[in-house]
Amino acid sequence: MTEFTMRTGTGKPLYMTKEQIRSDLEDGTNWATTKAKIPELSGNEIDHILGILTRPGRQIGVEQGKGIVLTTDGGTSRYTGICRYSAMPVSREQAVIIGERFIGFDTFEIGHADYSFRPVKTIAMDEATVIENTELNSVIPVFYGAMPNLGIYFQSQGGKWPSPTDFMNEGKIDEARAVQESAAEDMTNDIVYVAKIFAKTGLDGLDIDTTAAAGDADFYGTLKAIETIKKETDLALEVGMAGEKVFGLHADLKYEGERLAGMWPHQQGLMVEKAGGDIFGAVINTDTGKSCPWNLARSITFVKEVMKTVTIPVHPNMGMGVGGIPMCEVIPMDVVTRSGVAMVELTNCDGV
Amino acid sequence: MSSEQLFEGIKNAIVDLDREECLKLAQEALDAGINPLEVIENGLKKGIQIVGTKYDDGELFIVDLMMAASAMKAAVELLELHISAELKQQARAGKIIIGTVEGDVHDIGKTIVSTLLAANGFEVIDLGTEVPSSRFVEKVKELKPDIVGMSALLTTTMPQMQEVIEALEKEDLRDSVKVMVGGAPVTQEFAEKIGADGYAKDAEKAVKWAKALTS
Ligand code: B1M
Repeated sequence: MTEFTMRTGTGKPLYMTKEQIRSDLEDGTNWATTKAKIPELSGNEIDHILGILTRPGRQIGVEQGKGIVLTTDGGTSRYTGICRYSAMPVSREQAVIIGERFIGFDTFEIGHADYSFRPVKTIAMDEATVIENTELNSVIPVFYGAMPNLGIYFQSQGGKWPSPTDFMNEGKIDEARAVQESAAEDMTNDIVYVAKIFAKTGLDGLDIDTTAAAGDADFYGTLKAIETIKKETDLALEVGMAGEKVFGLHADLKYEGERLAGMWPHQQGLMVEKAGGDIFGAVINTDTGKSCPWNLARSITFVKEVMKTVTIPVHPNMGMGVGGIPMCEVIPMDVVTRSGVAMVELTNCDGV
Repeated sequence: MSSEQLFEGIKNAIVDLDREECLKLAQEALDAGINPLEVIENGLKKGIQIVGTKYDDGELFIVDLMMAASAMKAAVELLELHISAELKQQARAGKIIIGTVEGDVHDIGKTIVSTLLAANGFEVIDLGTEVPSSRFVEKVKELKPDIVGMSALLTTTMPQMQEVIEALEKEDLRDSVKVMVGGAPVTQEFAEKIGADGYAKDAEKAVKWAKALTS
């Protein structure tokens, strides 16, 4: 029986028959349906993905004229540092130009290696200079990216506030909640402070990346920051998430009357839209114990529901360990192009 | 209250995340002369299983899981004071030291694993988070556990697990213990690659694996 080269969630080759791929696709979509109570992919849609995954050619692409916006997050670190094996000795300003003129990105992002708003606050003026220089040299919209990262506001990570999990271990739920609310307020202020400085440089937009990585209080503080930044600056706001489900480390925080804990991507996107976000970056984490087809079908099921629910542009994250892409440093071309084509053709998303 | 009613009450207290009620009923059970091991088995463990299922179904959140685990831990600590040394020895499933590896502060999953192991009769020494390999080695020398458990939640800290295994090898301690690894990014494949003896995807599997190893 013919076998096709797929990938494991960690990026290793996995040889599967059509039947095996179909079965994993069905299981993946079923996971999303069962957990998030959203519609499953139809038999035709599964066939469509199967066709894309088994298409010959090492790399594939969408049809002429069906291209979408290609953007990045994580700053320029993929060019300048994060991956030792492929980093180049170039400055961040140069990396943006490479992205624009050689790779063909439609927007590009710069950010600091210490990729959170809190450390950026102390060097905001220096960063403003880098932003200005980049904007002067490039044509495409430039975003500045950083993470809200509520975790670093707690003492366990060198922050000011006692760790909420220490309170939880002692059974002190009220204290655990109060400390998260206080830390989230500090975080909101830091994001707004940085945004206001950068808005004066001519920056096109801010990418608030990996939102809710520390749970619902992280999400709440970010939504509050979005409200203020939209009121007080003209920055475009892209809001990328940390995962397909908001962890309930507080579990009692509401936004627009909705409990944030446990929200799935379509519900997260709606909150971002209500707060004033301009682009929603849906994130569905890769389960490394499952195959890429399984992960891809699960991601597509979620993103389809996001597309139905929110009206702002949606850019699902499709990189290392998210969106059906394996969790490995240098992502194999076969899987990234197939997953990308499937995401675009099945969901009609606005960008990736 | 009959012992059945007490077990039911303790189970419900865990499900309701009510630490005070759980401790109160555990004390009542002790006063009534009920075997503490039965209280753990028929009350606490049943409650935490329900909480785990509700968490998986999205009905409860991490904070609830942590509150239930903390109530259970407090009750186990209280009950343990009343288990005779002899019974303890009989019931003891094994000794395990556990910690989150250096550079990693994630402790929620590891704490749940510790709590469930303790509730299943293991003597658990929880070293906390950001535990350097030298401390794992030191504790293995000092406490002579059956199992060393390591947790990592970051792809960047997973290699620390291998460092600990190598440090144990260097000190000729590796053969004296079994090594179990876990945490969201860890896989069976990774566990094999670094030479760990076992991998568990969740707390329940960690208990099963630890029991199989020490029985
Ligand atoms: C010994 O044997 C065993 C056997 C089984 C074992 C075991 C050991 N250990 C665990 N298990 C297993 O059993 C447990 C129970 O069933 C399970 O445990 P888990 O721990 O998997 O599950 C828990 C019950 C629930 N899960 C969790 O508790 C993790 C939840 C998420 C939201 C998370 C949290 C809460 C936090 N975080 Co962090 N955090 C994320 C997580 C996102 C996500 N979607 O998972 C993750 C893991 N974090 C991440 C990151 C990047 C970070 N975090 C950081 C910080 C934090 C907080 C402090 C805010 C907080 C931790 C609070 C605490 N005291 O633990 C930072 C790192 C700090 C550090 N040095 O460690 C920081 C680096 C962020 C930053 N830039 O500062 C990401 C990792 C990405 C990667 N590629 O590795 C992440 C996936 C979020 C994301 N999408 O970006 C099993 O894995």
